[in-house]
Amino acid sequence: MSFSLLRIIGRSTVTACTHLKNNTASLGVIFNSKIHTTGVRNDLMEFFDIKKNWNETDIKVGRAWKLDELRIKSNADLHMLWYVLLKERNMLYTMEHECNVNVRLFPNPERIDKVQESMNNIETVVRERNVAYYQLETGETGEQPVDDVINMFGLPEKYHRKEYHLPSFMNTRWVRPYLEHGYINSVSVKKFLRLYKEKLYNTKRKAKNRDFNHVQQLLKRFPNMDMDALKAAYPDVDLEKAKQSKKSRGHYVPKY
Amino acid sequence: MRIYTYLSKKVGDLTIKYSNFPESYVKRSFEQVYWRTPKGYPQYTDAEVSRKKFRFTTNRPWTGAFARQNERGTLRKKVFVEPIKEWSFFKGDRVEILVGKDKGKQGIVAQVIQERNWVFVEGLNTHLRVVGKDKEFPGIVVQNEAPLLVTTDVKLVDPESLKATEVEWRYTEDGEKVRVSVSSSRIIPIPKAAEETTDYKSKELYIENPEKDTTADEAAKITFSPKLRTFEMDIMEEMGIKEDRVPAMSYWY
Repeated sequence: MSFSLLRIIGRSTVTACTHLKNNTASLGVIFNSKIHTTGVRNDLMEFFDIKKNWNETDIKVGRAWKLDELRIKSNADLHMLWYVLLKERNMLYTMEHECNVNVRLFPNPERIDKVQESMNNIETVVRERNVAYYQLETGETGEQPVDDVINMFGLPEKYHRKEYHLPSFMNTRWVRPYLEHGYINSVSVKKFLRLYKEKLYNTKRKAKNRDFNHVQQLLKRFPNMDMDALKAAYPDVDLEKAKQSKKSRGHYVPKY
Repeated sequence: MRIYTYLSKKVGDLTIKYSNFPESYVKRSFEQVYWRTPKGYPQYTDAEVSRKKFRFTTNRPWTGAFARQNERGTLRKKVFVEPIKEWSFFKGDRVEILVGKDKGKQGIVAQVIQERNWVFVEGLNTHLRVVGKDKEFPGIVVQNEAPLLVTTDVKLVDPESLKATEVEWRYTEDGEKVRVSVSSSRIIPIPKAAEETTDYKSKELYIENPEKDTTADEAAKITFSPKLRTFEMDIMEEMGIKEDRVPAMSYWY
């Protein structure tokens, strides 16, 4: 099976089609021919697109591979697809660079995003499979352990543990975690944290005021608007208070 | 309903669906980042200087016209857009116009601009525009549709009575989410034209690119069989790589 996919994939089949109609006629031809004829070029020109596409302005391709489509593929297929995508991505980056050098428009730059999304999805699926294996065999995920630590600025950070052949107490070259330096109790860190918190508070306060003013203006312009939708869009705004305010009244004399 | 939570405030999900682009591409096609702190250095906290306010019009976010309209240094008056709980106007819908010179007339939605709560109705609510006027040439008169607000200016048409009606989103017994007309409780199906994207009119009409695409039935083939192996172990076995060395003791810290 693994090789049939490669045969179908050919040189650089990177995207899954969106349409669902059968295309068995052309597929049969490829299956029956034992010799794969789309050019195998093991030279540097593989970094470039096929010559036919050089003057194209619109190269339409399908969408990226979805997670559910990748979950039904064997490991060998995923492995192969990964390298197909990697080559395609290299090709796209090369073509983009080449277009920039020659001051031309790179056709369909969204292809880079599609390939990248497919690659990310493959990585997710492979990780899922490995985690399932390790959970079953060892009860752990088998992934790189991550700790929540406080960094030298006193801010929470993720610390990705690394693998060493020496235990930590013997490893003199290893810099101990920030916490043990005592930096977070220093005067400068305390001062930094105070100012940083003030900054965060100010952005929050300004966002709150901005939202409140925005809601007032919305109420003024659309007095009959859907209040549930407004509440859902601006959950932190006190609607009753906004309605009472002078700013939310339109250019008319209130009846009461 | 809202899938694209990150962009939900800016670009409507219908716009992304219409573009047929990955969300990440839509984002990077219109964003204007002037400064971003380098990633992976401890001395920088994440910071970004970029344009925050964009004027959304009929120009789609990934187009050059949009970029020109939102050039660096251009500031335009703020537009207030009424929040809507659930969007219920799609391309191809029959709607009745409630305002303007075509008040009471019914027409088909030709374009939806979700960022502004706009719909354009084919051939209705139009104005005349003189294009290409010169000293010698008097110009050509063109008819253009003007936008209509979905909140106040248009209503969907009931398929039974052919009158304007309110709509509601409800679930069928099969768990499918449908639009239902309030006046007659009839389902208003979402038109086929709503599937249209920049690439194709409908999914069935998409033509595969034989050089780049995997065929649909090839992508749907199931080749996975569960094994008690990691990905790496499986690939090594497939390639005939034998590894019987025992790794040395290691420590994670």
